[in-house]
Amino acid sequence: MANKMLLCFVKSSSFFILIIILILYSETVSAQQKEYTFNNQGNVCYMNFVCFAQNLEYSSIKRPFVFILGKQGETAKETYLKDTIKNLPAFYNYMFVYIPNQGGNARGKLYCLSSLAGLLTYNFKYGRSNLFLTIKDSLITQPDINELALNTIFKTIKLFEPKNNNLSQLPNNNLVDDFKENVVAYDLVTQKNDTEFGNYYIEEDSTDNKDNSTEKPHKTWLGPPSAFNYTLTGIVRDKSSGEALPFATVLVKGTNIGASTNTDGYFTLLKVPTDTNTLIVQYIGYDKTEIFLSPQSSKKNLIVEIRPSIQNLKTVTIVGQKENVMLVNKTDVSLIKMTPKKLEQLPNIGERDILRSFQLMPGISASNESSSGLYVRGGTPDQNLVLYDGFTVYHVDHLYGFFSAFNSNALKDVQLYKGGFESKFGGRLSSVTEITGKTGNQKKFNAGADISLLSFNAFVEIPVGSKFSSVIAFRRSYKGPIYNKIFKTFNKNSSTSSPKGMGSGGRQMQNTTITSYFYDLNGKFTYCPSSKDILSLSIFNGTDKLDNSSSMSAPSFGASNSNFNMSSTDLTKYGNIGSSLKWSRKWNDKIYGNSILSYSNYFSDRNRSQERSMTNESGETTTTNNGVFENNDLKDFSFKTDYQWDLFNFSQLQFGGFGTYFDINYSYAQNDTSTVLDRLNNAILGGVYLQNKIKLFNDKVLFLPGIRASYFETTKKMYYEPRASISYNITKKLTLKGSTGKYYQFSNRVTREDIMSGSKDFWLLSDGKTVPVSSAIHYIIGLSYETVNCLFSAEAYYKKINNLTEYSLRFNPSPMGVSYNENFFNGYGYSRGIEFLAQKKSGKFNGWVSYTIGEACNHFDIYSDSYYPANQDVTHEFKVVSLYQYKRWDFSATWIFATGRPYTAPSGAYSITLLDGTTQDFFTVTSKNGLRLPDYHRCDISANYKLLAGSKGDKKRREIGYVGFSIFNLYNRKNIWYKQYTIEDGEILETNINYLGITPNLTLSFKLR
Amino acid sequence: MEKHIKLLLLIFLFSIFIIGCKKEENKEFTDTPVIESYLEPGNFLMLNVTRQIPFSSNVVYASDDINNLVINTTYNNSLHLLSSLGDGTYVDSSTRVSEGVNYNLTFTYNSKNVSAYTYIPSKPQNMTLSSTTITIERMDTTSGPPTGTMPDPIEITWSNSDASYYLVLVENIETTLDPIRDFGDKEPPGNRFRKSPTNSASEEIRAMDFQYYGTHRIILFHVLPDYAALYNQNSTSSQNLTNPSTSIVNGYGIFTGLNSDTLFVEVKE
Repeated sequence: MANKMLLCFVKSSSFFILIIILILYSETVSAQQKEYTFNNQGNVCYMNFVCFAQNLEYSSIKRPFVFILGKQGETAKETYLKDTIKNLPAFYNYMFVYIPNQGGNARGKLYCLSSLAGLLTYNFKYGRSNLFLTIKDSLITQPDINELALNTIFKTIKLFEPKNNNLSQLPNNNLVDDFKENVVAYDLVTQKNDTEFGNYYIEEDSTDNKDNSTEKPHKTWLGPPSAFNYTLTGIVRDKSSGEALPFATVLVKGTNIGASTNTDGYFTLLKVPTDTNTLIVQYIGYDKTEIFLSPQSSKKNLIVEIRPSIQNLKTVTIVGQKENVMLVNKTDVSLIKMTPKKLEQLPNIGERDILRSFQLMPGISASNESSSGLYVRGGTPDQNLVLYDGFTVYHVDHLYGFFSAFNSNALKDVQLYKGGFESKFGGRLSSVTEITGKTGNQKKFNAGADISLLSFNAFVEIPVGSKFSSVIAFRRSYKGPIYNKIFKTFNKNSSTSSPKGMGSGGRQMQNTTITSYFYDLNGKFTYCPSSKDILSLSIFNGTDKLDNSSSMSAPSFGASNSNFNMSSTDLTKYGNIGSSLKWSRKWNDKIYGNSILSYSNYFSDRNRSQERSMTNESGETTTTNNGVFENNDLKDFSFKTDYQWDLFNFSQLQFGGFGTYFDINYSYAQNDTSTVLDRLNNAILGGVYLQNKIKLFNDKVLFLPGIRASYFETTKKMYYEPRASISYNITKKLTLKGSTGKYYQFSNRVTREDIMSGSKDFWLLSDGKTVPVSSAIHYIIGLSYETVNCLFSAEAYYKKINNLTEYSLRFNPSPMGVSYNENFFNGYGYSRGIEFLAQKKSGKFNGWVSYTIGEACNHFDIYSDSYYPANQDVTHEFKVVSLYQYKRWDFSATWIFATGRPYTAPSGAYSITLLDGTTQDFFTVTSKNGLRLPDYHRCDISANYKLLAGSKGDKKRREIGYVGFSIFNLYNRKNIWYKQYTIEDGEILETNINYLGITPNLTLSFKLR
Repeated sequence: MEKHIKLLLLIFLFSIFIIGCKKEENKEFTDTPVIESYLEPGNFLMLNVTRQIPFSSNVVYASDDINNLVINTTYNNSLHLLSSLGDGTYVDSSTRVSEGVNYNLTFTYNSKNVSAYTYIPSKPQNMTLSSTTITIERMDTTSGPPTGTMPDPIEITWSNSDASYYLVLVENIETTLDPIRDFGDKEPPGNRFRKSPTNSASEEIRAMDFQYYGTHRIILFHVLPDYAALYNQNSTSSQNLTNPSTSIVNGYGIFTGLNSDTLFVEVKE
């Protein structure tokens, strides 16, 4: 009977359409559920029923349906309101249909059920295995079900049993599985299709502006869950390269459960409600991806692969991760995260540069063109710990600091903690930059090359089998226009090397051979012997050689058989060599650990001297060497382990140990006979840390207390650093956070004050006396407000610093003796400020505006008896970054304004008559940093055009590179870097050494995939 | 939303109130006095106070009159007021400077307390010369390069057990100068030359150091490190701006004690 009626429905299509129209017409939209009317009044099957879908998707029929017949006399609405299971996470993708309990007997109540089910599922288009029926009416029994053959329609039917006041499930063994619900929800098998690898560009249809580019994954498992509150572990990887993605966010949709992946891409989610939940995976520069879990997908080592954003500017390159909507991230205090993937969209001088890009964020000074090292919140670059694959990089500058030593082709992820950082990191006062290198494409061979007006850059990624991957990247400058321009900026003054007093008639020969370059090499080799272990060896070498030497020879001053030779050497060679061997192991679902053995060496050799050799008539040669000889050599041998242990779903314990052997040497000589300073220091620093990430109050509060304890061999003292950070989600959009902590630094870059030609600095290990162990206390409080498209945040900081060291030859502390070793001066200081950020995160036009008001003050008794502005003090800093995408073009523009930096200048002169009757001139200087350079401002623009593989008609084309054009300092502002003073005949000459003027650049970038 | 923006605005306004460094007023020039005083046994304590020469043209000087300062010295536990002689020169004519005594100096300038201290070192002991005469052949550039051998240098020795600083000054005391070599177009050198301060116990004077024939006075000064530092740092090059080591607080210059001994050398043709 029912079947006949059903047939009737189906065959009479006009009636069917009418019904649909009727349903649509009579739809009543309420907050969540939808109410419909079935049939016309008078029809035997006329009823008002209620539909409810947790995911609010009412159009899809490819899903399980649960029909619920209420208790005796209940309307559908009443049944809907009483029902409690509809909001369980397990039923997220289900459609609930509430049927009114009408009709006198059981048959009458059940009579229209099959026809309604047929209608709603388009005549069981996707089969009947996903139809479930729950009957809450105790009068309906098994024979009634059988009579209407409902068990051929519904997979399971639950009946109300009065005995235990519960629902019993009626098994149904007659059904074939025609819904194909065993299809694995998450596509674990990657299609071995060549087009799967690489980034894609979807040609936009000019007439249709719809976003049809992203292929959304579908939910394919619609059956009931098989596991509840279980622990899920997995790894997040790039779909095209197989590269593990560190610090990605993994969340269970609709809940507060979430985690971040660790440096090796692994994550652990404790207490996932069911195995049919949906995961949301997010990573900067990648599409936000939903992963549909199913009982078939792995619960351990689930491989989640996500794609780089196809629509380039859907997500912005840099995002203040702290402000992310996601719980696990918005709780981090003062954290900025970046992926080098989309770096080319920002303007650059000649190289995509991660550290330069960070300088566009609030709190990080952008007016230091000559330093790639970061000035974070009034701190100096040496107070920023730079970790590259676990080893410390001590010097990050290439070519006088205009470029950072990090090749963005070799990098995967960068995180910057602007302050209040966790106990895991130590040894620095101000901030932490954690850089993770690429492990290389694990699926396919890949190679690429960039050429710009500055450098040539190439990389290869070679996977061997499924367990080994490698990446090698090399970059070298060539004497292109940009290199020369920068080099000249810095060597303007020394280019006139013709000495005075040579005018006695001899012919002069001057040869200048400039051989300057920089290069860097990154290599990473990763081997995964098992699914639990990763071994990786990372190598980094960045070297600069800057040579501006010249030589000159003149035959005699008069006598014909004597000879005079002069060679002027101006050679600076510096660089970093570092390497780390890391072993990571996932001991079990809850314990993850890694151990790193590393070596890092920073060397700097500076020789700015003149060698004069004179050969007299009798053939005797006398050679004199005058100038500055500076040598700094730092070696760091370290071992450290980091463990994380997920104790409970609300608490993760992190702990580890570390040990470093420092060997730091520095020598400074003013000519070949007098060594001003020669220091050799070595010591062991060792210690442990413990911290615990705790989520409280329904995950609204995240609390991270920690302690770090270190023992420093030189001072033979223990140093304890208690730290804590807390964040509180006031609403879903508004987060309040704060952090505080104590920080120690054992190796410092000491500034050698030089008023005449700009101060320089060098690394020294604390000796506990003249160079004490420096320390800082941070206090940070912040507020962020984030919507889907916008972000506003404000953060205030206060940092108190003790035991700062500067070196100055301007003073002699003990008048009764001259000892240059005593020219180290100690002081203290503070910095404070407030940062504001407003960001538009999405759309074709996006970007951000940031403003920082701050100050950094120092107090050194030797300079002044009150606080004076520190060298890096900047009062106002305003930055605008705007990005615009049009078809295959990316446009960007940045504008930076910063208050000028303070400086000290010669202010006057006096002379003293010596005992032999001659007079000696001396110069006096202004109060320390009493003057300020003019304000700094600059605008940069860039345009990139994507290069695509494939023919023009193809909708989906692979991106194989780009052509980039940028202009640095668009309106050619003459920003002053420092002032140089030269004394000639008792007069002082002031020269402004300017930063770069307008500099255009062209970049060509190619890659295989 | 609006509420939060207001909140941010409030924080911003608040920040403007709390920010504002206790920075010193930017000064291009600080009027700090320059002192010059050598204290030698047997002489009166004399002192010269001057102003620095500023590089900038529009500077503000302190109101203090350089000729009317109240300068006190303390030695042997007694306070003495220096009298002005004009041109910034002051003298304490009450007692002559004597060896081994500590001298302290104080006065107020530009609202700051300027002070300095020094003591008088001992007279050089056991000063000897390896020879009191030296014979140097007259050199004439017109007759070609000189022939023959250079005479041995004169070695000056003295006792210096504590490695303190000594300075050798050589002065021709003839009324008319008789040059050893032809200076050509160049300006003739002065009648004095010195060696660099040393903390050894000997010094050599080579024949080529002498420019004139006749009697020379060899003065060996026993100096203090702050005076030696003037020479150490006299290559005030473009590398650094170095102020000489000094005992003077809130002032520049030199306030140092010294002591000397003298011997004579005859330069013969």
